[in-house]
Amino acid sequence: MKSLLAALDKQRPQYEPGGKLERLKPLFEAQDTFLFTPAERTHTAPHARDAIDMKRTMITVVVALIPAVLFGIWNAGHQYNTVNQIANTGFLADIIQGTLLVMPIIFVSYLVGGLWEVLFAVVRRHPINEGFLISGLLFPLTLPPTIPLWQVAVGISFGIVIGKEIFGGSGFNVLNPALTARAFLFFAYPVQISGDKVWTAVDSGATTIEGFTGATPLAVAAMVPPGGDVLAALHAADYGEHFTWLRLFIGNIGGSIGETSALACLIGAVILIAAGVGSWRIMLGSVLGLIAATSIMNLLPGESYKGFTQLPFYYHMVIGSFAFGTVFMATDPVSAAASTRGKWIYGFMIGFLAILIRVANPAYPEGMMLAILFMNVMAPLIDHLVVKSHIRNRANYLRKFRHA
Amino acid sequence: MASFTIKKGKDLRFDGTPEPVVQDAPTPEVVSVYPTEYTGIKFRLLVKEGDSVKRGTPLIFNKKNEAFKVVAPAAGTVQAIVYGKRRVLERIEIKSNGSADAETFPSYTADSVCSASRDDLFNLLENTGYSALIKARPFSRPATPDQKPKSIFVNGMNTAPFSPDANVLIQGNETVFQIGLNALARLTEGKVHLCLDGAKSNHAALTGAKNVDVHTFTGPHPSGNTSVHIHHIDPISPNDVVWTAKVADVILIGQLLATGQIPPTRIVLVAGSGQAEGERKYFRIAHGAPLASILRKNPKHEAVRTISGDLLSGPIISETGAIQQLQHAYTLLHEDSTRHFLGWLAPGLNRFSLSRSYLSGWLKQKSIITSGTNQNGELRAMVITGLYDRYMPMNIMTDFLIRAILARDADEMIALGLLETDPEDFALCAFACPSKMDLCGIVRKGLDQIEREGI
Repeated sequence: MKSLLAALDKQRPQYEPGGKLERLKPLFEAQDTFLFTPAERTHTAPHARDAIDMKRTMITVVVALIPAVLFGIWNAGHQYNTVNQIANTGFLADIIQGTLLVMPIIFVSYLVGGLWEVLFAVVRRHPINEGFLISGLLFPLTLPPTIPLWQVAVGISFGIVIGKEIFGGSGFNVLNPALTARAFLFFAYPVQISGDKVWTAVDSGATTIEGFTGATPLAVAAMVPPGGDVLAALHAADYGEHFTWLRLFIGNIGGSIGETSALACLIGAVILIAAGVGSWRIMLGSVLGLIAATSIMNLLPGESYKGFTQLPFYYHMVIGSFAFGTVFMATDPVSAAASTRGKWIYGFMIGFLAILIRVANPAYPEGMMLAILFMNVMAPLIDHLVVKSHIRNRANYLRKFRHA
Repeated sequence: MASFTIKKGKDLRFDGTPEPVVQDAPTPEVVSVYPTEYTGIKFRLLVKEGDSVKRGTPLIFNKKNEAFKVVAPAAGTVQAIVYGKRRVLERIEIKSNGSADAETFPSYTADSVCSASRDDLFNLLENTGYSALIKARPFSRPATPDQKPKSIFVNGMNTAPFSPDANVLIQGNETVFQIGLNALARLTEGKVHLCLDGAKSNHAALTGAKNVDVHTFTGPHPSGNTSVHIHHIDPISPNDVVWTAKVADVILIGQLLATGQIPPTRIVLVAGSGQAEGERKYFRIAHGAPLASILRKNPKHEAVRTISGDLLSGPIISETGAIQQLQHAYTLLHEDSTRHFLGWLAPGLNRFSLSRSYLSGWLKQKSIITSGTNQNGELRAMVITGLYDRYMPMNIMTDFLIRAILARDADEMIALGLLETDPEDFALCAFACPSKMDLCGIVRKGLDQIEREGI
């Protein structure tokens, strides 16, 4: 430990102002403070500070994402091996196959996104922000495992540069950078990120398992005609196993790498809430919004509206990207509402809008991404209204004492 | 009398708690007066080097308000008048002759002070500089005679680490304390509120104080902050003026009024991890005596920071300074630049945190904080929201108030309640802030801006 510290201290002078590598200071600092917490002391009151810092906060989110990453790796491999009918596979083979499919995507996301982050840090002379550790991991988890790597590179570039850095970096962005990146890919290259063919890689020339269509539960549910039984359609769909609630909850189906498993997201939610990093108000608000929207839909006469309207809320919660979006995307504190009441409204509207877009809009298969981005834009307005009402409430409180 | 229970906040238990013991410090050979202590006031000299002065002889006066004078804390000869940068009057050194020679001012009894005129009383306080012990809110500036405070708040609590316990200070000063309170009651047409800690068994002279409304506040820090008391009892609207003082200030004022002389000594607290064990206690010492005479560096630590006031909100001062007029506590905190290997990943059972992302946040919330001045991280943009409000027991949306100040939006700051606060109220929020923001400094800037621009 001591020799490592000494080695760092020996390097330090050349990165200080006047040193040879002065401009690369953010890079040295990132490496230095990655290994050891910084030695910086307080300059003003309060003279002592809590051990928590932004690194720790951000890493907690990464830790919360680990279940989704691991499950996504296994699931990508498992789906690939199953669909392509690869013989003699087991858990280990699934993991290996999944690693081969997923790790390059994560690697490219971190590499390209990291280059932008460092470039901006060096040019604009700000420290490398830890927020990138999250954006760089969230983004690949929202992609199908078949995504071309160049699109990963283009997408994360857009997300980091347009979604974050042009506003001034972490803490100043209006939209969630990872979702900005995904939305960009969704509208720029829809073929590789939507439809039935992208969620599980199918080898050219391989004979796929019988009955495999690649349709996601969302696609299956959306196809049910008026008067049709949406639950029956889900249960009948897919190959071998069917889209039962339990299977959708566990998430061993084709889909975006990290989004299929509501279970992994739930574990992530528990970690985020327990550590006090993610807002439980936003998560709960989103769930309540979903329940409200589905309850209204369920009241519509099933004969005249498409079968999707009749899907109960507990199915809505485990299909598509609702769970992932609610736990990891909606709770990004920078792009979410900041006031306590605002968080409830913001979360509720995300859940509500996501279902509205999902069921009522024929153009988009899933509504979560657009609901969150829309509410990101609306968050300052919500806060503005909450603050206005707070100011009225304060004025009333003060007035009460003036007459006393 | 009313009782208030405060839920938001947190009591931080730092290493270095003082014992409730008062020790006499040696009589100083030289006393120094620092005019810079009275922020924002420009002074003119009334003495020159070589002049002999009594205790209470005026040394300097305020250029803008000639009634406000700062007086000699001991009798002797003016030894040096020292100027700092840009010829700012830095300090006046008086070589003490050890005599008790003192200027005499009008003196009062507990009864006679009740019939004294407001002008006479305030004039006496101004002529001795003791009016500066009373602070005017908003902005926490020395009280001035033209102000008409709607009420006066006397703080008898010490939830901040480390601040003097009113129950220690009051011992032997029961009568003068009451004289001080009676004087305050003459200075306002409103009420005088004395706020005490509901969780303590307080001295009878505090709980039974007359001529005032006694209130108790129970709960974690910052329940002992004057802003919290004002907010719950008689909140400050724009254009209101409220005066505040601490029990220690009222005792000094009471001593002046009772004897008609400048008190020769006062009681100050020295605590914190940087002060040697066994030396963390109260000292009876003269105003202007060298600070070093009561600071005993803890040999366990290499370097120590001297803080004027409590650990959470006081400014750093030089250890070569003198006992200040307006401050009753000094905290010594050891300098700490320990680097923790992979601190972002380690479970962190031995690093104090209010955050549950550390194991200590779950298991060791009540443990004693032994880390020193380590910032434990680097400055970042504001990211986490809603965290500050957990430590703000007032009807204030802290995140938005801070944002309004950063945006220099004066109207919004006032609407969001900046005038009800003081930088010290944000110290706990800043302690817990993962972005390591200088919240106290930001709030001070906001208050300065409004003071400059007018409400």
